[in-house]
Amino acid sequence: MTPRIIAANLTVRLKTFCREKSAMFFTVAFPVILVLVFGAIFTKPEHLNFDLPVQDRDQSATSAQILKRLAADGVFNPVALPADADAGQYAKHNKLNLVLVIPHGFGDVLTHRLAHRDDKDSAVLMYIYDPSSTSVTTKLQYLNSMVAAANQQMSGTPPFITTTQQSILNKKYRFIEFFVPGIIAMAVMTSSLSGALNMNAELRQKGILRKLATTPITRTDWLLSNILYQLVLAVISTVAILLVSYAVFGVRLQITGWLPLYIVLEVFVFVGIGMMLTPIAKEAESAAAAANAFLFPMMFLSGTFFPVEMMPGFLQKFARVLPLYYVNEGLRAAMIFVDNLAALRCAAITAAVAAAVFAAGALVTRWDREV
Amino acid sequence: MSNSAVYTIVVEALSKRYGDLLAVNDVSFHVNKGEMFAFLGPNGAGKTTTVEIIETLRTPTSGSVSVFGMDVAKHKRDIIPRIGVLPQGFNSFDRLTVSESIQYYAKLFGNKTTDVDGLMNLTDLKDKRNVQFKKLSGGLKQRLGIAIALVNDPEVLFLDEPTTGLDPHARRAVWDVLLGLKRKGKVVFLTTHYMEEAELLADTVAIISKGKLVAIGSPGELIERHADYMCLRLKSVDAHAVDIINKMGFQPVLDSRNNIKVQVKHTEDVQQILDAIKVAGLPLPGLDVRKPNLEEVFLSLTGEALHAGAPMEGDAR
Repeated sequence: MTPRIIAANLTVRLKTFCREKSAMFFTVAFPVILVLVFGAIFTKPEHLNFDLPVQDRDQSATSAQILKRLAADGVFNPVALPADADAGQYAKHNKLNLVLVIPHGFGDVLTHRLAHRDDKDSAVLMYIYDPSSTSVTTKLQYLNSMVAAANQQMSGTPPFITTTQQSILNKKYRFIEFFVPGIIAMAVMTSSLSGALNMNAELRQKGILRKLATTPITRTDWLLSNILYQLVLAVISTVAILLVSYAVFGVRLQITGWLPLYIVLEVFVFVGIGMMLTPIAKEAESAAAAANAFLFPMMFLSGTFFPVEMMPGFLQKFARVLPLYYVNEGLRAAMIFVDNLAALRCAAITAAVAAAVFAAGALVTRWDREV
Repeated sequence: MSNSAVYTIVVEALSKRYGDLLAVNDVSFHVNKGEMFAFLGPNGAGKTTTVEIIETLRTPTSGSVSVFGMDVAKHKRDIIPRIGVLPQGFNSFDRLTVSESIQYYAKLFGNKTTDVDGLMNLTDLKDKRNVQFKKLSGGLKQRLGIAIALVNDPEVLFLDEPTTGLDPHARRAVWDVLLGLKRKGKVVFLTTHYMEEAELLADTVAIISKGKLVAIGSPGELIERHADYMCLRLKSVDAHAVDIINKMGFQPVLDSRNNIKVQVKHTEDVQQILDAIKVAGLPLPGLDVRKPNLEEVFLSLTGEALHAGAPMEGDAR
């Protein structure tokens, strides 16, 4: 190992990086944009608001009352439908996934029921809906819970069962806080894997590896300077992601020694995988394709964008063989849940993978002979 | 190795096989101290394979190669710091400037004394010192490659096809750099498929074809030995002249511009042909006589042309 040679290589890489605008974009801007976009989409689910087409065939004081309460709740924004239209046809024609119909006589039945306490009669509200729509279930749940609350209130007795809530976390965490560690892991993975793969393929294609083979640089020097360079990139993108997350979304995350440890381990894992793929990808173009074939499944199946628990069982099992899964889990354990034991367990698994993959990658990197 | 006192490079019975292909077939030669040595042959003849074995990049299938008296297969680490290499189709890092590239390679060799300015002067790159590699023309890239090959002040310089793909002007600029090195007494090992390059620069030329060494010697010796004749060219002559010369026992060739080319052994032969044309009363607007060049040596030795249809621009001298 020659520090002078490693420093010279690192300088070349960093100069190239600073002069290559697309490299800057993918390292800094791309993950930051992801944080901004996903953060904006998911930050405030409490402000859920739907337009709700309502056909009031009753036109009574009671139906007016109902519309008023719907509007007051804030979730729905009632939009009146012509009273004489066929609601089903109208919904189909106008591609409405849910229409609430207040039938004629609704007010009379309800008044009768309230006045006489006659259990046989109940007033009926009708939902006309499109079962293929994804958002309709959520809307129906909201409507049902509002109806249930109204029923309970009109019964005149206090509820029999109430609920209280207790979080297993010290404090409530928001989706963006779940999301940020995933984006950090993804950004580090992408730059390490495609960085190692593309650079080696490109340098070989241009014959630079052949030239380097006629200089005193050794394989150890070469591998170490690659790793150091990828570490610098990983730190740059992590800092960028964290700065934006704190500044724009005011996230609260635990920044401890786990974060740098995970970054180091992850760089070793994915630079190692990149080196293993290099002999397969003979040219720079096929290198990019090979990198993507590896990156995308990893990204979507390892719980980067959503919890692994949301996936079907067999995919959850599959996720457990992906190295990125343990980085995601470990980073979240450390940064959100402050669960040192889980962080340690995931770090140990990641370290074992890193050691194996990097050793294998170093073994197949034969740039110094018969290139 | 006993020869190492005299010779910088000794290649003995070298063969290299890739599967069914015998890329280098029982090649032996040596390179003297202070010599400029050219490996001349068409593409695919085995030049690069041979030179990469000497540079310690590849291992021989059989035979032995020693540089500075050391076996290349065993002494890579001792040989590398003492040689300089311009690989075929040289490239540096796209975004590094000329001076940064030179400095980078100097650092790899740990040479604190590398005279970056001196190397840029030698290769005439001083005006381009802050230009990034990707913006350099082909000739400038090659000159930078030569400057980089010199960062460790090597005892032997290997140049693999230094002027391939360059226009005549850029080629001449590279030759100027190489002639400067020759004056300094560097051992230079050159591979090329340009005969005028070998003829202009080399003390010794080794001709290689299909993996086999077919001839070796100074350009003058090779021409003397393998192309012992003169080339007479008669310009825009009447086609009848072909018959006349034919009957005299020579083998004239008529080209598309109505020039007749004849190979002759002696000065008297020229005289006889000219006399015969005069007697026949045919006009003779012009003629020239020249010595054959390495291209013709190569043709007579291998029966194949160095260049597949590539026109050669003029005689180098």
